[in-house]
Amino acid sequence: MTMLELENIQGYLIRGYAHMLYSRFVYLQISDANAVKKWLSKSWLEMTSARHIHDKSKISPTHLNIAFSHEGLRALGLKEENLAAFSREFRQGMVSAHRTRLLGDYDTSKPENWNWGDKNTDSIHLCLMVFGNDKTAKDDLEKDKIVCLNYYRELESQFEENGLKQLFFIDGQTQPDNKEHFGFRDGISQPIIEGSGRVGNKDDVVKAGEFLFGYKNEFGVYPDTPLIVKEQGNLNLLPPDAGGSGKKDIGKDGTFMVMRQLEQDVNKFWSFMNENSKNPNGSINIEDSLKLGAKFMGRWQNGAPITLFPDKDPGPNSDINDFGYSKFDKDGLKCPFGSHLRRANPRDNVDDHSPKESLKLSNQHRIIRRARLYGEIYEGSPTNTTPNGEVGLLFICFNVDISRQFEFLQYTWANLPKNKELYNDPDPIIGVKEQANLGEEQNFTIQDSPVNKTYKNLPRVITVKGGAYFFFPSINVLRYLSTI
Amino acid sequence: MKQNSITILVPVIPDKVHDLLDQLRDIKINSQEGISKDFDGLSIIHYARWVVIDHGKSWINDDQKREPKLLFVVDYDGKEEEMLSKVCESSSTILDLIYVFCKDYPPLNSITPHGRMSFLASHAIKDAAVYIGAPGRSVVQIQNEKRLRNYIREFLDSRSWSGVPAQAILQEIQSKVMDSGDYGFLETENVSLPRINFPILILVGLIALCLFPIWFPIVTIWMLILHFFYERKDENFTRKRSQLDDDFLTDLEKYEDWQNQNQFTQLVDMKEGSFRLISIKSMFLLTNLLIKLVFNQGKLMGIPTIHFAKWVMFEKNSRVLFFSNFDGSWQQYLGDFIDNSGWGLTGIFSNTKVFPKTNFLITGGAYKEEYFLAWSRNSELITNYWYSAYPDLSIKNINNNTRIRVQLMKTLSKRQAVKFLKLL
Repeated sequence: MTMLELENIQGYLIRGYAHMLYSRFVYLQISDANAVKKWLSKSWLEMTSARHIHDKSKISPTHLNIAFSHEGLRALGLKEENLAAFSREFRQGMVSAHRTRLLGDYDTSKPENWNWGDKNTDSIHLCLMVFGNDKTAKDDLEKDKIVCLNYYRELESQFEENGLKQLFFIDGQTQPDNKEHFGFRDGISQPIIEGSGRVGNKDDVVKAGEFLFGYKNEFGVYPDTPLIVKEQGNLNLLPPDAGGSGKKDIGKDGTFMVMRQLEQDVNKFWSFMNENSKNPNGSINIEDSLKLGAKFMGRWQNGAPITLFPDKDPGPNSDINDFGYSKFDKDGLKCPFGSHLRRANPRDNVDDHSPKESLKLSNQHRIIRRARLYGEIYEGSPTNTTPNGEVGLLFICFNVDISRQFEFLQYTWANLPKNKELYNDPDPIIGVKEQANLGEEQNFTIQDSPVNKTYKNLPRVITVKGGAYFFFPSINVLRYLSTI
Repeated sequence: MKQNSITILVPVIPDKVHDLLDQLRDIKINSQEGISKDFDGLSIIHYARWVVIDHGKSWINDDQKREPKLLFVVDYDGKEEEMLSKVCESSSTILDLIYVFCKDYPPLNSITPHGRMSFLASHAIKDAAVYIGAPGRSVVQIQNEKRLRNYIREFLDSRSWSGVPAQAILQEIQSKVMDSGDYGFLETENVSLPRINFPILILVGLIALCLFPIWFPIVTIWMLILHFFYERKDENFTRKRSQLDDDFLTDLEKYEDWQNQNQFTQLVDMKEGSFRLISIKSMFLLTNLLIKLVFNQGKLMGIPTIHFAKWVMFEKNSRVLFFSNFDGSWQQYLGDFIDNSGWGLTGIFSNTKVFPKTNFLITGGAYKEEYFLAWSRNSELITNYWYSAYPDLSIKNINNNTRIRVQLMKTLSKRQAVKFLKLL
């Protein structure tokens, strides 16, 4: 097994920084490429790496990572030939006619309506990810915020002299129990990158080449890494292409980062659950509403998988993740086939493939998720349905093959209503269209005995507000970029 | 009713190819009120497509001067003659608008329905292997069974069934369906699902076993010759997806992912020599055998998303076309192929030029994921017009609907009734 060069990998890929409850995602333009390169020549040392630190007291209270858009690499001075060596998805970005169809960004979610990332908004060159944690406190969002923002202000004071122009920022927060605004614990199941030193369920161990360039992927081949086609900069800083082309590899130990700002309509979500589970007299049936919400999601609000706990939420903070659908729930009677989590990661039960084949297929479509909350910290429930102002998720994920991983999950497994044996069932959380086509039904089917139950006219509960694809380079490559 | 497939290949008048492309674009734009509506009306056509080949974009790096040609591919019910005659009757104007740009089309002022038909029939070329995801199901049957399933589903959704025994629910469904009077086909037609033909399969297996001492050495020697005298000299495809032509991909994407189904058309050239020809023909023979005996359950080598697919060899076996109509996205389609049937695809396509490097006919090739994905995209063609009779149904839906229909009118045991209700 290959061991990863953790010192060379930016930390956010390997670790979620979950203890850093406050973060600021700063979106910038390069106004002076030479000044930015000069800044990179020093700041690569400051970027948080994935290096494991045993002594927790030595972990820095602030973390910093960086990612570039394709436009950003161009603005920095990467030559056209080298820019062209990146994958088509990254080059095109999240907004193109075809991609909009794949991702289902229609109606209110259409790119023209986005706050950022569309062609008619300011072109984003890079994203700085700033994290803070007050080490004297435990799980204190307000104190973490102070540390994070102090660090941010320190960085921000030098943006101008470093050739950077700030466009806007999004503040991301995390709840200690990691609940998102609908009230569900998030981010429990993550793939484990082979060679990263992390341990866990062996079924979740995925080849490094799914998340890092320069390593073999789940098909046993090297991913389509960006190579230096036309020489520039100090090429001694770059490793050779592991694929044997003889060219230098600018991708090695880096990956692509997908960002999407998703507004969550808490009211619509829980109103639908309440309405469809109400008592005969019309009053809210909290228990049934929670259960219906759990069926949609695939886990209870506290995180326990409904596959293992089909009747009731077993209580707080369940981290149980070691289960298979094929063994416990082949017929979907506990966790419906259409539920958000079962679609996004069908584990050992893809279509009617064998468990072994299914796991293989599932692992070819994994992503590492790093969602952060924005807006008021709010925990939705059947009786808690109306937050103040806009709330949502800054959805972030890492993958090497945007097409086969993120876009596949969004299009094939979430948006297409034909998952498993289903007929008209899009993903109830992220796949529903705001306006269905003429004659098109949008349902959620609960496999049940004696007969399945259909919930009709699903509402779209998220709105895309912005998004972009970024290159998340290795730390060495940051150093290289300072020399181009 | 038996499903059939036809491939009609007609030379285009070289300086009219752009007119033809423009015409097809117009026909596509107006298809909802035009040709697609005609096809809908016939109720015997599952899929159809027109593809212009050899007009400069056929396959990149092809240095041979080619004459442009027009492909017309139809998957249909019943007899070829009847289908062609109906198409020629219902869409005569559109056919004239298209084929006027093709060589030897009868003059428009004197053309007769029979003239159109015999023109098309005379240009039909032979399919090498045809796969059908729902064998025996006609368009009418597929539509009827969809209607039936939706009707039952609606009935089930109209009340609570909690505590009602499965057999009682089945009876209620039966009387509801019969009382409605809309499903007369249930009484008049006797339908059964195709089965894997085990007796023949076992027989074939036994014969293969008995003849093992004969064919095994032949195949082994064949593979060795192939490897050492052919594969080692092959020119291999070594580009990755990032290195493909951007504009061409943008063109392809314009025709993709508009609905839950998609099309795929591919054209490749055979490697020279009879050794390769015999290899690919043997692979087609095996494919056809397996399609007849095993792959009649809605899955092709484990792939559960294909409605109709086929391979065609033409121009004296020097070129290979592949057509597919499938559920989902190109990405999923290819991914599924690698996992489930990489060996089969490699066995066929490794005999064509500039394929990812193979060893012993069936290894390497498709399993080299990155090169394979890029190769398949690179050799894909724009499908100028495409028709699907039931874009809202997946092949799994279609087969499930037949299962529902077949069981519905039977007397089922308690266990069988429980199982039946799961289908709904």
